[in-house]
Amino acid sequence: MEVGRLPISATLRGKLISSGYTTLSSLASVSPSDLARELEISNNEAFDVLKLASHGRGLDRSDGSGAIVNGAETAWDMLHKEQFIPRITTSCADLDNLLGGGINVSEVTEIGGVPGIGKTQLGIQLAVNVQIPGAFGGVGGKAVYIDTEGSFMVERALQIAEACIEDMSDYSVLLKKNAIPHQIQIEPKDILENIFYFRVCSYTEQIALINYLDKFITEHKDVKVVIVDSVTFHFRQNFDDLALRTRLLSEMALKFMKLAKKFSLAVVLFNQVTTKFAEGSFQLTLALGDSWSHSCTNRIILYWNGDERYAYLEKSPSLQSASAPYSVTCRGIRNCTSSNKRTKMM
Amino acid sequence: MTPENLLHLLQTTQKCTFGCPIIDRSVGGGVACSSLTEIVAESGCGKTQLCLQLSLCAQLPLSNGGLNASSLYIHTEFPFPFRRLQQLSQAFSSSYPQFSNPSDHIFVEPVHSAHQLFDIMPKIESSLENRNSQLPIRLIVIDSIAALFRSDFNNTPSDLKRRSSLFFKISGKLKLLAKKYSLAVVLTNQVVDLMGSSDGLNALRIGNLKFLCSSERRVCPALGLAWANCVNSRLFLSRNEEVVGEGEGMMNGSELVQRRRTRRWLHVVFAPHLPKSSCEYVINREGVVGVESQ
Repeated sequence: MEVGRLPISATLRGKLISSGYTTLSSLASVSPSDLARELEISNNEAFDVLKLASHGRGLDRSDGSGAIVNGAETAWDMLHKEQFIPRITTSCADLDNLLGGGINVSEVTEIGGVPGIGKTQLGIQLAVNVQIPGAFGGVGGKAVYIDTEGSFMVERALQIAEACIEDMSDYSVLLKKNAIPHQIQIEPKDILENIFYFRVCSYTEQIALINYLDKFITEHKDVKVVIVDSVTFHFRQNFDDLALRTRLLSEMALKFMKLAKKFSLAVVLFNQVTTKFAEGSFQLTLALGDSWSHSCTNRIILYWNGDERYAYLEKSPSLQSASAPYSVTCRGIRNCTSSNKRTKMM
Repeated sequence: MTPENLLHLLQTTQKCTFGCPIIDRSVGGGVACSSLTEIVAESGCGKTQLCLQLSLCAQLPLSNGGLNASSLYIHTEFPFPFRRLQQLSQAFSSSYPQFSNPSDHIFVEPVHSAHQLFDIMPKIESSLENRNSQLPIRLIVIDSIAALFRSDFNNTPSDLKRRSSLFFKISGKLKLLAKKYSLAVVLTNQVVDLMGSSDGLNALRIGNLKFLCSSERRVCPALGLAWANCVNSRLFLSRNEEVVGEGEGMMNGSELVQRRRTRRWLHVVFAPHLPKSSCEYVINREGVVGVESQ
């Protein structure tokens, strides 16, 4: 519906249109005071305009399920929506099962573990897998990779990308459907080009980059995953004032959550482990303290169990805590070979 | 802020050769640039030998796997092994006659404490910027990082906290330099014996190997978990004595004399670009040489 059809004075209508408010939906997210300032009208007038506009919008709705507050959704709608949200596969079926199908977009996931457990490998794998097109059950997006430690190796990313493309072409041969083109159009070079790689060398740079991400992703709407490897490194140096550190970290966490919701993308944060003195003994725990542990929706801990790598889902709003084995191969993250044998024997 | 082009990065990321094709093969072509590589070993395994050899190889042209650059050798253990370097450089110039005096391209800097190391960083940076010498510096070796940290700090919680904060500060600065000037940075670390129960915190498994073993003892890298987070790749050198059959009493005539020999191995403990791998090597007059596995 057009602004022109609102029962308001001609001058007011003129002011609205000249400021760019031509449709009712464009008035949906404006506050009365902002509108008053912009149109140079009184607050009351602005309030009346918005009231009429929201009324007009209500008439427009055919189903009549108008929300009371703008942006509010019912839980039923959200559940319905969630079923269609694609997930980013980890290339390891056991790990995907643990996560309910893969890394959830529009959520913040934290992954921690000792050095050498495969954090960076998982990060590179996700940056590649996010690009699997929809025809193969993927998200078909791009990746932002924020490297704070210098562990991202392009040659490794290329290896994983090549393996991923091989798997996709195997898959299309298996299916032999017309819907899926037999020839994979993607090349390893394209996959590398679709990873936006930022190397940050200090915590100020890290904060600046995260503030800038909003703008960057607005320009690159197809970014579907933001990976930070690791969120910790620069925050473990030069911080004598721990209160300041906590403030900066929680501010950063809020921004990640906002990004995840706004652009419905997955945020994956990697964390290091440290020791914590509790109940008379030293225990292993993820770094950055207790207050940080509230800032991520999901939390996964990677650990060694004998000679196998395991992932443990420590925190999740919808899934139960469990663990699953995975392995790091030259082709990337894959199912654990010994667990394959076990299922075969059964 | 603009993202870096990975295709460009793929072409420009270089490796510095160890000067031996067998060792290079097990570490993916050598030490990666823009990255911190740690070499962990007990004393007498050849850490310093390997570092000296690497420093010499940095000046090789890119076609030979080098960086076409000088190297900076920061030593914290005294005295600096000048004589051994001389020996190695003679061997080096006999295989590469175009380098008449290869030691010319190795700058040596002594450092006595962790704080001093942090303080000389600006000086290091200015020498990296200064391209007056024929070859720019592209390799920094710190031999050894453990010696700096194991002496100055007490085993109290406050001192340990101060120490790990300094780890991250130094590593952050080194990574910054490594990225900015695409340097290869190599640090050596010592080991400590693993005492007591084998399931304690010290026995925490880090990396590919279930446990590190050298000279028939279980060891773990010095400086603990916090430091392990500061490096990108970790290599481990081990040494084990092995009985290779009993000789027929050559010395005393009657007694059986065991013939023993030391076998040395290089293992990749963790690295973002390398799978689990290892290779055997020997140290001879010409340097560190890999042995083809049967």
